[in-house]
Amino acid sequence: MSRNGIFSNWSGWLSFGWLLLLLIGALLADAVTLPSGPDLLRASAAPLTPGHLLGTDSQGQDVLSGILHGARTTLLISLPTAISAATLGTALGVVAGYWGNTRLRLPRAWVLAGGGALLLYTLLCAPERSPVAGWWPLVLASGGIVSGKILARRGWGRTAVVLPADTVVSASMVFLAAVPRLLLVLVVAATIEPSISSLILLLTLTFWVPTARLVRAEVQRIRQLPYFEAATALGVPAPQIILRHVLPGCWPLVRTSLPLSLAVLISLETTLSFLGVGLPPEMPSWGRVLAAGRVSPTCWWLIIFPTMALLFTALSLRRLLPDLGQSRVTSKAK
Amino acid sequence: MVRRIFYQAGQALLIIWATITLLFLLTRSLANEQIILARFIGDESTASSSLGQRQQAQQQARHRLGLDLPLFYLARTAADSSEAWLAPRWYWTGTQNQYHQWVRGLGRGDAGLSYRNQEAVSSLLANALQHTLPLALLAGVLLITLSVPLGIWLAAPGRNVALVVLFALDTLPLFVVALLLLLLLANPDMAALFPAYGLGADETTSFWSAPASYISYLILPLASLVLTGIAEPAIQLATALRIELQKEYVLAARAKGLSAAQTLRRHALRNAWLPTITLLTDLLPNLLAGSLVVELIFALPGLGRLLAEAAAAHDHPVLLGGAVLIVLVRQLSLWLAEGLYRLADPRLRTHSL
Repeated sequence: MSRNGIFSNWSGWLSFGWLLLLLIGALLADAVTLPSGPDLLRASAAPLTPGHLLGTDSQGQDVLSGILHGARTTLLISLPTAISAATLGTALGVVAGYWGNTRLRLPRAWVLAGGGALLLYTLLCAPERSPVAGWWPLVLASGGIVSGKILARRGWGRTAVVLPADTVVSASMVFLAAVPRLLLVLVVAATIEPSISSLILLLTLTFWVPTARLVRAEVQRIRQLPYFEAATALGVPAPQIILRHVLPGCWPLVRTSLPLSLAVLISLETTLSFLGVGLPPEMPSWGRVLAAGRVSPTCWWLIIFPTMALLFTALSLRRLLPDLGQSRVTSKAK
Repeated sequence: MVRRIFYQAGQALLIIWATITLLFLLTRSLANEQIILARFIGDESTASSSLGQRQQAQQQARHRLGLDLPLFYLARTAADSSEAWLAPRWYWTGTQNQYHQWVRGLGRGDAGLSYRNQEAVSSLLANALQHTLPLALLAGVLLITLSVPLGIWLAAPGRNVALVVLFALDTLPLFVVALLLLLLLANPDMAALFPAYGLGADETTSFWSAPASYISYLILPLASLVLTGIAEPAIQLATALRIELQKEYVLAARAKGLSAAQTLRRHALRNAWLPTITLLTDLLPNLLAGSLVVELIFALPGLGRLLAEAAAAHDHPVLLGGAVLIVLVRQLSLWLAEGLYRLADPRLRTHSL
């Protein structure tokens, strides 16, 4: 590890240890014998009560078990979301940055044939009892391919149509930025059925923007560099250039933004569960422990312990960055 | 110049229209109608009523909530059993659809009726804004006036402890900071300095002490909004200032005899605060969204609490109305940002003229 690496001093070791502890706690949440159901005899018990190390809430639920199971919920949501959002953001950022508004060209024949097939598919459907039922998508796909091939024989069909990739990606960024993120997630999460997979999908679709913005700018910078020009001049095909020359240059950026977006996602998930939106009501979460703390404000242990868990996790994730992050200000879930 | 203003206004209108249309269609089409009906069907259906009565009650509830109309101008054709080879997938519904009615209502300033209590959404929002706007505006003013000196202070060397504290505040969610403040400063066990809940609008307060008690109820919500909001602009400003202070024009300014403070204020700050302006103009929409949790925790009857309760209760018209309001505020503040940029950076002014 280099001098700037995470293991260079004690705070790096500490944050690594905390994240490892969190992971183990989340994995072994069921194996540890903890009181799972409500313990009605010891409701609102203070910490260090026998059997309840960190106390219980007003319903008699154990706080330690809530924090361990909540860690599992948090990781189960934030890890896949962060990874898929980073992937989606990188893909869209590369598309927007590499092809820009002028370089994504398709032969006119294929644009016409594909667009026609899609249009027919959206406008018309085959009723269940008609002879073409079930075959309709296949008929359209093969028809599109055949007509594309026929049209491509003419010189007129081979002239290129420019697709404005950059404009499309930038416009969708603007639309996603038009609503504050917390409100957007809240509005949509309140309408869908609460479940883990739908929440992951929703968060992914709203969280790709920062990564895409970074990657797009980086690809535009890389495109000006001599080695990129050399690869283009050599006639290396576009997928090869992207895979071998563009993506390795973007990787440090994505790696830096991943822990930050994890921290933001964890705090957003906690906020959503605190508001009682997005996850099924029986899912344990840090936000729910904190929500129990709001109802009974004299039970300080309901607020202090989940807050410490949140704070340690966020600070450890920040410590994973190459630099302490003084030069990069995070975008925060609001 | 005029053309540019019109162009930007058109762009903003397009974004507003597209965003609220998407939100409307998303929330209406993703929502499970049965759940909504089961929640808001009222007293008409009891367990003892027959199937026919229950269906009739459902029909009435759908009519009352406006769910019996088609959603959009185009509606999906039912999967019928016709023997035609191909059938159109969509049919035209005319103007009798939910979207058309909703948008026409919005034009008249009427955002529909709440599912829960059949009150007009616009009056609900107006009532809520009365309590939220003072809070958000006060917090905004405090943030702007405090973040610039804080950023300048942080830019000096040797402020690492303060930076770590600010980072910690920045990473904690807003509601956790609010809960911590509640625990520390409004708790009979610790220090009951401030009232914990509500606005204290009882008759016992006299006319003269009313403003003071109002302020004392607002202090904790304000503090939580300011504490979580201040880290980002202050750190950004400090970072930019540190970079600017190493440039040569600063050295030149010092060499011609300006004091360090003058150099900072007249030269470095004017270059460093451009990115901060962007953050500060996002402030009002973000504060309105941040009031979601703060008002819920401190039990203030404002916009945020209205929206949070509407979200928990599946009350879509209220949620949508609030979203439209915040989208409007966002676009307005983007416009403001453009103007501020022109004021702060003369290069932009000459460029566009």
